[in-house]
Amino acid sequence: MAGIPHDHYEPKSGFEKWTHKRLPIVSLIYDTLMIPTPKNLNWWWIWGIVLAFCLVLQIVTGVILVMHYTPHVDMAFASIEHIMRDVNGGFFLRYMHANGASLFFVAVYIHMFRGLFYGSYKAPREITWIIGMLIYLAMMATGFLGYVLPWGQMSFWGATVITGLFGAIPFIGEGIQTWLLGGPAVGNATLNRFFSLHYLLPFVIAALVIVHIWAFHTTGNNNPTGVEVRRGSKEEAKKDTLPFWPYFVIKDLFALVLVLLVFWAVVGFMPNYLGHPDNYIEANPLATPAHIVPEWYYLPFYAILRAFTADVWAVQLVSWVTGGIIDAKFFGVLAMFGAIFVMALAPWLDTSSVRSGKYRPAFKWWFRLLVIDFIVLMWVGARDTNFPHDWISLIGATYWFAYFLVILPLLGVFEKPETPPATIEEDFKHHYPDAPSAAE
Amino acid sequence: MIRKLTLTAITAFALGLSGAVAQDDTTTDETTTEEPQADAAPAEETTTEEAPAEETVTEDATDEEPAATEEAATEEEAPAEETATEETATEEAPAEEEAVTEEATTEEAPAEEETASEEAASEEPAAEEGMASEEEHGDAAADEEHADAGGHGSAHIEDIAFSFEGPFGTYDQAQLQRGLKVYTEVCRACHGLQYVPFRTLTDLGYSEDEVRAFAAENFEVFDAELDDYRAALPRDNFPAVSGEGMGPDLSLMAKARAGFHGPAGTGLAQLFKGMGGAEYITAFLTGFTGEEREVAGQYLYENTAFDGGWVSMPPQLVDGLVEFDDEHANDAHHIAEDTAAFLMWTAEPKMMQRKHVGFVGVIMLIILATMLYLTNKKLWAPHKYGKDLDL
Repeated sequence: MAGIPHDHYEPKSGFEKWTHKRLPIVSLIYDTLMIPTPKNLNWWWIWGIVLAFCLVLQIVTGVILVMHYTPHVDMAFASIEHIMRDVNGGFFLRYMHANGASLFFVAVYIHMFRGLFYGSYKAPREITWIIGMLIYLAMMATGFLGYVLPWGQMSFWGATVITGLFGAIPFIGEGIQTWLLGGPAVGNATLNRFFSLHYLLPFVIAALVIVHIWAFHTTGNNNPTGVEVRRGSKEEAKKDTLPFWPYFVIKDLFALVLVLLVFWAVVGFMPNYLGHPDNYIEANPLATPAHIVPEWYYLPFYAILRAFTADVWAVQLVSWVTGGIIDAKFFGVLAMFGAIFVMALAPWLDTSSVRSGKYRPAFKWWFRLLVIDFIVLMWVGARDTNFPHDWISLIGATYWFAYFLVILPLLGVFEKPETPPATIEEDFKHHYPDAPSAAE
Repeated sequence: MIRKLTLTAITAFALGLSGAVAQDDTTTDETTTEEPQADAAPAEETTTEEAPAEETVTEDATDEEPAATEEAATEEEAPAEETATEETATEEAPAEEEAVTEEATTEEAPAEEETASEEAASEEPAAEEGMASEEEHGDAAADEEHADAGGHGSAHIEDIAFSFEGPFGTYDQAQLQRGLKVYTEVCRACHGLQYVPFRTLTDLGYSEDEVRAFAAENFEVFDAELDDYRAALPRDNFPAVSGEGMGPDLSLMAKARAGFHGPAGTGLAQLFKGMGGAEYITAFLTGFTGEEREVAGQYLYENTAFDGGWVSMPPQLVDGLVEFDDEHANDAHHIAEDTAAFLMWTAEPKMMQRKHVGFVGVIMLIILATMLYLTNKKLWAPHKYGKDLDL
């Protein structure tokens, strides 16, 4: 692997040399684990490990759940109860899987906001960022597909609403919707294909994760200062870094165990807290729930979707300009996906010469507002659309776009950033004055 | 040194986990082998010959009004319930105050439920009317009940300190037995428990023989092989109850309802009080105000807990309705609580095992976290402080 100079794997024994000539897998593992990592990484950098763990947890528990699950509209709901009542440890497995999805999204949101604050998306890590956004999209799809499988009321009606979004696309929308559902409405064909895709997508995510890791192992990790590791020589690099194993593995494991402590308590003591009671009612196409709410992790973007009603002048303008092709519903869909798209464009929208938000006095405040905006949108996404919720979601959605499309580009021009430390070593010494000068 | 520490940590964790699993097994054994309660069969003789609900209902329906009115009734259903929301908001009278009225108006309802299957036709006119209202309601009405009450009610639900709440809460077997009796004598006339196998009644402290006797004496199930009904066996589930006028299945009802919401849609109340499914059921069963009205030929009963205020289920519980074998207080509120507790068990039978695994896991993770913390500290000390740490 290219990047920061470091010691590479040397096959010593005859067997190692024999293997290395044929399949340098040990070398690959060694180089991956021993990658020089900026030694000033703070605790916001632990969520990657949590995410990797989540993916494994979801795949392992999911594979076992599949052994007992029946993807058929008449049997799916009952098979979940079979898991909960008859399968050994099934009740815990299922709760881990359901809450595992929530942990996954908690972790990914913190991971993303960390990247947004410390400028991890900026050159040369644009591809890492883009791959990350693709992983996030795949996660959203997987979570949605998985929520349909228990075939409860929210499963059914959630699926109806979300696939209905595709129906909003002009001209081809209805065709796409029918194609996605495998019929005119959510039914057995829908459940079967959603099940198939729910099993497939995690492996797509796993592949993307490998590319994600490959990408940032090539560029090296970002770090809280946003200053690059010196890579003139091995000795120089060693002043800024420590190998991933054991220093960051142990640190990350410690953090992971703390996160799992909370997770385990949630699964053990309040496993239905994040779920919706309606999903313990079997799906019934004849009875619409009074209030269809997506899972909490979709709520910010769901709020953006609902924010742009036909009453908003921007919507009316676009509708008029396009001759009605883009109506309020389609506008909302575009806004929802657009909210994620502008996030993916952050590397090119951020014009600042300084990478880390730590040294950007104005940016800090706009960023904090963005986090608050995200939380407010999440809250308002679960509320009805009456006043004042309609205004709150509209303002929230507008700020989301304004942050990426207006504030990020302008800040680079108008903001006067502070000077970051010259090296990572300097930053580390600032925190730990007794740190030895040359790392052994 | 570091490697050693880490190794110890991992080994300790693995050992602990296997220990936990073993422990878990023994606890399960304990519950199953526990001595049976003094009052053996929770059954009542009066219910033993009950024919499957579906058949009788169809019979009744033919006696009653033509199908056309049924359709009209279901169509009108939704608006009626919607408009009722405002009314409940203003009329939120405390349950106790209304208790007297409730008793008076509901006196006949339970009796009617019990005997409905055998001789609905020969009942007195008032009771017949009650039945009719339920039938006209039909499935759609029951479904709407689902839809409307699905966990976002505006009514105030009182928090009850159930024994199974909190991280260390456990089911009270005596209470579950009482709840089972209420279900068997009252609820089962209109509600199934299709996901609950009889064999799991050993969780309630019954021996296997008692469970066998209970199932055989009280329930019949349809056997596809025999193409006929036969006495229920422990391996069977409680029968599903469906058809005109029948209510929703109760197996998961305690998880399909949330008693607590907010504040302001944040869900924080549930963090402290729990989801409140059992509280909702208690409030619902005791929340009838005694008011009833007829909408397009069907009767609706006012209920302060129900979202929308008017429900198609007639009031059921009155003081002294069920005599408990343990002579526990049997006023309407206590009966409602016991029923709610029993339904919490039917919805979440593995709750105690789940909490046990949760508790053991948390302890293990605390130990592991402590060891990893120390390992991490020692590992980084030379690089942060330029010296080794002695731990």
